[in-house]
Amino acid sequence: MTRAKTAAQILPYIYAAGAIIIVWQAVVTFTNAHVALLPPPLLTAKTFIDLAISGQLFIHIGASLGRVVSAWILSVLVAVPLGLAIGRWRRVEKIVDPVIELFRPISPLAWIPLAILWFGIGESGKIFIIFIATFFPILLNTVAGVKGVDPVLIRAGQVLGCDTDRALFTKVILPAAMPTIVVGLRISFGTGWAAIIAAELVAARVGLGYLIADGMEILRSDLVLVGMITIGILGVLIDAAFRILNNRFAWGS
Amino acid sequence: MSNAPEADLNTKSISIRNIGVTFKSEASDAVEALCPIDLEIPAGEFVALVGPSGCGKSTLLNVLAGFIPPSVGTALVGDDKISKPDIDHGMVFQDYALFPWLNVLDNVAFGLERQGVGRDEREARALENLDLVGLKDFAGKRVHELSGGMKQRVAIARVFATDPSIILMDEPFGALDALTRRFLQHQLLAIWQRNRKTVVFVTHSVQEAVYLASRAIVMTARPGRIKLDQKIELAHPRDFSAADFRAYEKLIYDQLDEELAKTFNLEGSGGTFRD
Repeated sequence: MTRAKTAAQILPYIYAAGAIIIVWQAVVTFTNAHVALLPPPLLTAKTFIDLAISGQLFIHIGASLGRVVSAWILSVLVAVPLGLAIGRWRRVEKIVDPVIELFRPISPLAWIPLAILWFGIGESGKIFIIFIATFFPILLNTVAGVKGVDPVLIRAGQVLGCDTDRALFTKVILPAAMPTIVVGLRISFGTGWAAIIAAELVAARVGLGYLIADGMEILRSDLVLVGMITIGILGVLIDAAFRILNNRFAWGS
Repeated sequence: MSNAPEADLNTKSISIRNIGVTFKSEASDAVEALCPIDLEIPAGEFVALVGPSGCGKSTLLNVLAGFIPPSVGTALVGDDKISKPDIDHGMVFQDYALFPWLNVLDNVAFGLERQGVGRDEREARALENLDLVGLKDFAGKRVHELSGGMKQRVAIARVFATDPSIILMDEPFGALDALTRRFLQHQLLAIWQRNRKTVVFVTHSVQEAVYLASRAIVMTARPGRIKLDQKIELAHPRDFSAADFRAYEKLIYDQLDEELAKTFNLEGSGGTFRD
């Protein structure tokens, strides 16, 4: 990618950030908002920098990222093979599909009470919540990817020596489904990252969700905003990284 | 490589013995796609299958490829019964069926890898076959960078690379413009004359059939059966405008027109046709 192209992609985000800061400051100025309700951008920036310098911010980021990454990897390990099976075998789909359709509309938030009861207030409960949030995008995209494989490619694979189910799977179906699967991986990381707040509502002592919840309890809205802004910026960066991965699998069609 | 046919050619005969196909569905009555037919294709023959849409010529090709089992009868390649897809029975598809995640070279080498050919030899043979279709310089390109005609040339290189004993072609040039089509017909013929594989070539074009084939088979409207089995005894390269070329075309068109009339009459009365 050329430097000019990169700049052209980043520029809109800088404009958007600028616009948000202007509106934010205007609201603070004209409504004379109390600092505990809406701190001005400058104060929030100072808190942000202080937290960054003290290293605390990175501890929170590390904790949250660690949870999302572990839950996401767990999701990939379960949802991708299950999705491949559902997409490939009609019989598996018939059995599993209704179960999935029943569970899919239930928000990860609804699982919090059970997560606490089952896993206690340690790490596993939080990871469970994020697992739920990341599971379905991966599963559904994997199923769609496998089902969307052009049948003529499967036939081409068969007449070119993929004479076992396994060879056909690894040589044709998986690579053909890969672009759709990678889209699912990207979307799921986004939903998992968004679910971090819900997960860290469950008695966390560290993490960006904790930072937000704690900021609210001690009436430090600047901490809340720092938590929110960090989640937003990291979300964009992670999505950008996944987009690069996506493009590698997109074959230019 | 010389232009003379090599001694150790891999090419086999095809025997179609009483092959019939009936499609059964839950929703409607069984549809007979192909009447039981018999056909003997000697090794090295280039057979064109011509017929109206829905005459079962693609069905027959799919049986020969091992994609669908016949309802009755058996098909043999050499002495072996066709029961499933086999790398020894090559196929070229109308919509190319190249693997878009692989580059041109790896597409051509795909079958060789499955045959267990080592990396260096695989690449050498893939390049050799790309050279036959004039695309050696495109080996490193991605599939989406190619035009339709180039894609089909890659598919032709891919099928010849594994040296199958028969090659099945399902309207391979049907999606191409007239000029590209002419060029590819010429190229295919040049390769076939060199290695004399048994070819079964499905086409809608009578001109294409007469230009390429050593034998043209006209099939009837559904359920398909053989209406005309005509040897084409013209020396290559054939001239589209020559009188004897025209005579073969007329012979085939006369048979086809009867079938087309039947097809359209049926459609007019509410019959439906699928290929």
